[in-house]
Amino acid sequence: MEFLSGNTQRRLRSLPFYLVLIVTTVITLVPIVWVFASALKSNKEIRENPLALPSEWHFQNYVEAWFGASFDQYFFNSIFITVTSVAIVLFLSSLAAYAFAKMRFPGNQMIFFVFLIGMAFPLSAKLGPLLSLMYELNLANSRFGLILVYVAGSLPFAILMLRAFFQGFPQELEDSAALDGCNRFQFYWRILLPLSKPSLMALGIFVFMGTWNEFFQALLLINEDSKRTLPLGLTAFQDEYFTDFALSFAGINITAVPVIIVYIMFQRNLIEGITVGSLK
Amino acid sequence: MAQALSSPGQRRPGPRFRLDPMPYLFILPAVLIYVVFNLGPVVASFFFSFFKWDLLSPTTEFTGFDHYTFILNDDRFWNALGHNFIFLGLAVVIPVSMGLFLAVFIYEIRRGRVVFRAALFLPAIFSGVVIAYVWKWIYHSFAGVLNAVLEAVGLGAFTQLWLGDPNLALYSTFVAYTWASFGYSMVIFLAGLQDISTDIFDAARVDGANFWQKLFYITIPCLYDVFTFVITLRIFTAMGVFGVIYILTGGGPFYASDVIDIYVFRMIGNFEMGWATAAATVNAVIVVILSTGFIKYREWRSWSS
Repeated sequence: MEFLSGNTQRRLRSLPFYLVLIVTTVITLVPIVWVFASALKSNKEIRENPLALPSEWHFQNYVEAWFGASFDQYFFNSIFITVTSVAIVLFLSSLAAYAFAKMRFPGNQMIFFVFLIGMAFPLSAKLGPLLSLMYELNLANSRFGLILVYVAGSLPFAILMLRAFFQGFPQELEDSAALDGCNRFQFYWRILLPLSKPSLMALGIFVFMGTWNEFFQALLLINEDSKRTLPLGLTAFQDEYFTDFALSFAGINITAVPVIIVYIMFQRNLIEGITVGSLK
Repeated sequence: MAQALSSPGQRRPGPRFRLDPMPYLFILPAVLIYVVFNLGPVVASFFFSFFKWDLLSPTTEFTGFDHYTFILNDDRFWNALGHNFIFLGLAVVIPVSMGLFLAVFIYEIRRGRVVFRAALFLPAIFSGVVIAYVWKWIYHSFAGVLNAVLEAVGLGAFTQLWLGDPNLALYSTFVAYTWASFGYSMVIFLAGLQDISTDIFDAARVDGANFWQKLFYITIPCLYDVFTFVITLRIFTAMGVFGVIYILTGGGPFYASDVIDIYVFRMIGNFEMGWATAAATVNAVIVVILSTGFIKYREWRSWSS
């Protein structure tokens, strides 16, 4: 290969990597493309020719799925529960992480450790008592109750991540703010939070995805149709329309599209949230 | 020095120690919500596994290890736990090695890194519910794409009831799980790779190391801590797998793809809180032992070598 230029050699060397990556990407994306294509087909076409692309585009599948089932309600519930949970998690975890990272007080290490313990258990380890607690507090079958459960579930990871980030802040910053008469809450609110925007963004997108997609606890705690989130609503919808192939596909897409949009917009933040949280 | 003494958060030397309430006010809301809605129920689940109780009646009666005796003698419990371990065994090999190789390939190329990373991670963003329904249709006996593809390429003899065959159901759900998890390992490995100094790879190239030599003598040793994390993550997801299996098979046919979390969920649905909490506690103990044991072993091995 002496006669080839260095640039061409390098291209030749990376050719097998490109081949494997392209093939894997195609195999990975084919199921998604197929589900989107099938949602535009008629039932007859799906049954007779599952592999073909739609011969004509039946957009009415989406219209029927949206209005036939309560997808507007599920959608609103998911937005409300997810956005509220993310806002509460960001506020409470940044407050606590600031104290754990920058303040000395008896019990700092121990209380932080208690938060870490929460990440060690599988979900099922709390479900029985959680269900009866929610009924006791009249929070079962309630969007507000579900928000509290989601916030409690996200706090340990959020505090762990933000604490590591806040620890990197120079002490001088806080000292000079104190000299200017800034108390600790003012410092947190006016200086720490604005400077932490990228981290809060990454954490927020990560918590958004986890909350939007959550299914197990919603299944346990919600059984009124009007309070279902999208993943929960999709199961009810699929149970009802499992013979109507085209509507089923449309229902899956309605649930998937919002996540895809958020992913396209915030892909970097999301992956940063995952990797920063895991490698620090 | 004067500045250090006056800085907030530093304990001042003095004859009397005054407890500063401020830090506690900062952590209080988080602690309250976390204890009531997360840690509290976990602790309660452990305690209640020693009592007879259900959701309906408030009476409790101490039953000792009765619930544990029951579930440890329940074939379905061992059946479900065994499936979690099959899942775990496959999960630490298949999605992890897929993630590693794809990350290395993306690292090796110059153009299109961001596109490949974004596209290959895409399935990982979906809810388990969406993943399960996508695969439910892929596996569908006559409208599904998998059997249709097999027919189309002349492998009609290999068409299967992917979810209805007791010998296949668990593995079919594992494929759906893998589709949605290798991207996770991939982005974490990729971030780890980008932290390795490029000098090492350049030196290896000068010495004429081939792809496999670089992989086994540089990449994998350098990613030691990343491996620990990625595999620990698989321990949690494999031992806590629920949504994908719940929707694809419901644990069936005939409990052939049952797992612990579905077993626990079924027990709660039957108001058998004692058995549910006992099974959940056993699973939690296994997860804690496996994950902390694995992390400690990896730390010990990196110290001793």
